[in-house]
Amino acid sequence: MKRGLLCLTVILLTATCALAAENRWLHVKVEDGGEKAEIVRINLPLSLAEKVLPAIHTKELHEGKVKVSEAKFEDVDLRAILEALRTAPENEFVTVQSKDQDVRVAKSGGNLLVKVRDGKEGKEGKEKVENVEVTIPFTVVDALLSGGKDELDVLAAVRALGTLGDTVLVTVNDEHSKVRIWVDSRNTAD
Amino acid sequence: MPAGAGTVAGGVGTLLLGAALAGGALVYDMGGVWVSVKAKKPGGENIRLVVPAAAGPVALWLAPKKDIRKAATDARPWLPAIKAAAEELRNCPDGPLVEVTNPNEKVRIAKQGGALVIDVDDPNETVHVSVPLKMVGIIAAQLEAMPDPEMEHGSAAEEAESSTL
Repeated sequence: MKRGLLCLTVILLTATCALAAENRWLHVKVEDGGEKAEIVRINLPLSLAEKVLPAIHTKELHEGKVKVSEAKFEDVDLRAILEALRTAPENEFVTVQSKDQDVRVAKSGGNLLVKVRDGKEGKEGKEKVENVEVTIPFTVVDALLSGGKDELDVLAAVRALGTLGDTVLVTVNDEHSKVRIWVDSRNTAD
Repeated sequence: MPAGAGTVAGGVGTLLLGAALAGGALVYDMGGVWVSVKAKKPGGENIRLVVPAAAGPVALWLAPKKDIRKAATDARPWLPAIKAAAEELRNCPDGPLVEVTNPNEKVRIAKQGGALVIDVDDPNETVHVSVPLKMVGIIAAQLEAMPDPEMEHGSAAEEAESSTL
């Protein structure tokens, strides 16, 4: 009886996980409040990304993996930085506070957090503030680094995103525009 | 009338009816490509076009091979991705994929009942296009199956090289 219940629980959990992974959506919403007043909404099923990524074969992207040599930005070794952050204990890594800008990079609650507050003097002396918040779950970072030494496994990262709960990944707010990137199980953006 | 003639005629009739039914079922199964353009200004042109999706692969087969091969070569790197996307989208629930809204224009790309539907509403016209995802996948597969001129050229050159050796 106990064994039967255990089997049933395992089957139900597996089915739930499979359904959860199938129904995850990546959403992007950009609200431009300027003269054009434009709203862009993108709803992408993660399962679609999972199927399409391995089918793309370009110089940079092959089988859902990006060669790290292509992902170096101005001599910054992105993979080495991510690897260092992954293995580091939970902490606040970088805090830069100045008159115009606050930058905070931290590892907290299994997430890599980047917060930037950028304040600039506007034309009429008013302060223009831009807030950027990026949250990258370390399960996604782990998946990203799970490939070979010289590659980032984007496909694995997408799969990892699919296993997470509802997560806001990026928010950008400034005077005129708002950007939000998040993952949830709804097929429409709010 | 010979005794067997009636049987042959009956057989041919059954065959034709079967072919017509199979063709009808194929057309029904694949749906249709809908294109509608409605001009908002008086005197503007309105276009309404409904083509059975099954006609797409047939048109591809009938079209000049030279042109189709060029298109296939250009699109070849992306064909597996297009095929995979069309296949996976068919399994996804209906809903909007991309929406762009501004005071002058509304653009919406959505998955709706096995088709990719594109709606554009701007001050001049409204455009509605619906393409069955099944057709997209079939056409992508058809283009993918076409011989790659570069590969053919390469193998021909290899053959020539081996024959000279």
